[in-house]
Amino acid sequence: MVERILLLLLFMVGFWGIVGKKHIIKKIFGLNILNNAAVILFIVEGSRIGTNAPIMEQTGSSIVDPVPQALMLTAIVIGVCITALSLALAVHLYKISGSFDIDTIRLKVQDEA
Amino acid sequence: MTTPKTFKQFWGLFTTLLAIFSIGAVLLPIFLNAHPWPTAARDYLAMRGNTDSGATNLVSAIYLGYRVFDTFGETIVLLVSVLGTMGILTRVESLVDASSDDEHTIGTVSGFSLSQEKRRSHTLRTHLLEVVTGKIGPIVLLFGFYVMLYGHVSPGGGFQGGVILASGIIFLALGNPQEGSSGISNPEILVRIETVAFLILVLVFFSGFFMGNGFFGNPLESTQVPVGYIVLLNAIIGLKVGTSIGFMCIAMMGGGY
Repeated sequence: MVERILLLLLFMVGFWGIVGKKHIIKKIFGLNILNNAAVILFIVEGSRIGTNAPIMEQTGSSIVDPVPQALMLTAIVIGVCITALSLALAVHLYKISGSFDIDTIRLKVQDEA
Repeated sequence: MTTPKTFKQFWGLFTTLLAIFSIGAVLLPIFLNAHPWPTAARDYLAMRGNTDSGATNLVSAIYLGYRVFDTFGETIVLLVSVLGTMGILTRVESLVDASSDDEHTIGTVSGFSLSQEKRRSHTLRTHLLEVVTGKIGPIVLLFGFYVMLYGHVSPGGGFQGGVILASGIIFLALGNPQEGSSGISNPEILVRIETVAFLILVLVFFSGFFMGNGFFGNPLESTQVPVGYIVLLNAIIGLKVGTSIGFMCIAMMGGGY
């Protein structure tokens, strides 16, 4: 139970990074924290029905569910892709506006429009 | 977070906190879910996974056997992400060239730049960095290949080994005193390896046709070593993931295009 509440807090920290922070790099950090909270939640859920790693060296032992682990492998790679794309977009915005702060960027865009 | 002074700042803080606690309240039942986790998939895989695919590691039996379509989509997403990142970064480089404005040149693009004239002058590029990363790079590469090729019997696999391979490539790129002395940190070669790996991946997926198992089918299913298919796919995916992530990082450090 405790680990689930901590995971929810981790998720909320990531969400706070996305909605509450003005700095774009901090927003990307928040996106990563949120992604990791979801990944760990799935691993925790899958480990409820067993204790051993899903490697069949000895038969008959109670292994964890390997399906969430295989799905989270996909989620981690997609997370890396999202991070790379958003970092590239952040660099692009910095080149245009000279700042990572979203308020400054918004002012700059309004000036140009 | 600074203490709010005006009404607008207070309103911003209030809406942020409201959003965070609303999403917390919505997700609380999901995170505290006590519904029993179904054991049917686990039991089936524990019973059949090893004999079906030959892999001791059931996770690789899933993502390269039962759910290989998922993995195929994932590699395509990785490819698209590399293309998008490169598209945006190339545009950035052309913007810099057009304006030639040194004041707004960002650290990540030109700081660790692999071009000869910039790397000498940058303060973060010390001899310590070059010596340590140049020595540790080949060892990390070797470990990456180990994780990649033993993914069917031990924790690991193509994606994990590929990421370790990418760190080795980045170490070698950081530790190279001369430009172009090592082909593995050359972005053009990395891109070629990636595209060829993707082509081979698609061809290997087609190989099941010739044994009557269909697309994504294991051509070695009826032989003594069905695990060979998983080892081959792990090696190809590891090469593809390692080169694409290494290429993205090198391009963000200022090499590449």
